[in-house]
Amino acid sequence: MADLKAQIIEQLNLHEVAPESIGDDQPLFSKEGLGLDSIDALELIVLLQQHYNIRIANPEEGPKIFQSVRTMAEYITANQTIKA
Amino acid sequence: MNIYINGTGCISPQDTAQGGPLLAAPREYEQVRLATVDPDYKQWIDVKQIRRMSRVVKMGVAAANLSLEAAGITLPDAIITGTAYGCLDDTGVFLTKMVNQQEEMLTPTAFIQSTHNTVAGQIALLLGCNGYNNTFVHRGFSFENALLDAIMILKEGTAKHILAGGMDEITNYSHQVLSRFGIYKKAPVKTMELLNSPDTGTIAGEGAAFFALGATKDPGTVAELTGVSTLYKPLWEGEVIGHIMKFLEEHRCTPADIDLLVTGRNGDIDQDEMYEEVAAALFPDHAEASFKHLCGEYPTAAAFGLWMANAIIAEQAVPEAAVFYGRAPQKINRILLYNHHQGTHHSFVLLTAC
Repeated sequence: MADLKAQIIEQLNLHEVAPESIGDDQPLFSKEGLGLDSIDALELIVLLQQHYNIRIANPEEGPKIFQSVRTMAEYITANQTIKA
Repeated sequence: MNIYINGTGCISPQDTAQGGPLLAAPREYEQVRLATVDPDYKQWIDVKQIRRMSRVVKMGVAAANLSLEAAGITLPDAIITGTAYGCLDDTGVFLTKMVNQQEEMLTPTAFIQSTHNTVAGQIALLLGCNGYNNTFVHRGFSFENALLDAIMILKEGTAKHILAGGMDEITNYSHQVLSRFGIYKKAPVKTMELLNSPDTGTIAGEGAAFFALGATKDPGTVAELTGVSTLYKPLWEGEVIGHIMKFLEEHRCTPADIDLLVTGRNGDIDQDEMYEEVAAALFPDHAEASFKHLCGEYPTAAAFGLWMANAIIAEQAVPEAAVFYGRAPQKINRILLYNHHQGTHHSFVLLTAC
């Protein structure tokens, strides 16, 4: 998950944020969390494609997948396992 | 109807953002490309928003905020900008990704921020300004046309306070491309010696300058924006001289009424010849100040020139670093700013002390 946090910081240009300061279960899109917005959601979709070759087939899954770093990591692990 | 400059703000290769006396400690460079001295932009822009902003957006937003603060205005009625190159950095990022990633998996941020009107749009978003918002992309007339639009709107009476400004940035790509045209010096030159350079080419620059304009003056207002005029591709110096005479006549003055000439000399011996001709014909005994050795050459550099001219009126003195020739009179009442960009775009701005 540390690698994923670093990739999120790079992709979203969040250089002011230290990877270790992002909690595994911290909400990505709420004001209590990182406070990301819809443009960031598109950037995260591209991140999954570029780094993990994962395309989100059903956009309605988005809110669930991008809830936190942990849910993203779980989605990546699950989909990479299926591919393997 | 008079138009007043009620506040100014400038981000440039000099320490213009921090306030204080004009060019009290001018920065001298020995290079062919000048970059802005960046203040801490977080004082104006939220950390979450700043991460998506390229340098030209940040410098534009900062200069806009400085001018509004100086004028004591929180919300202008209109925002008008001029930029020749727009948001070049994000354009470069977006195009590079298109090529490298074979038009696949393109991210939205660079694309969204790559348009010329991004700066005016970001200022409006940050201020919550839903008023008239326009950006002029007219090469060396971009800033001047933004000013003309602001003047016309103020004269129509549809706005009371207008934020107008000009900005451009240099990127590695743009500098490489422009260098191929032979615009810049081949070797680094000391900026304070630039205007006496014996050869062609100038130095690249960048920056943003904004002006809070209004039809009424505030207690802190120092200058009236008496007139703005442009002249495209004059055939010879006589056309420029005639244009200046007519411009001054329109504003009921003559060259003798001008206390200080501020020119856009840039150290290119060919391009500076026009300033020599105009000064010799109309202003042979006038003091002359220049500004492009301080900010570098870029299509909206006249915005820096206007910012400096306004500050000269405020201080009633020409800083030593800006003096090109002569000594200005004790009372600086009228300044004529004459600038041309690459010999094609000639502009004239007349300022009068309030």
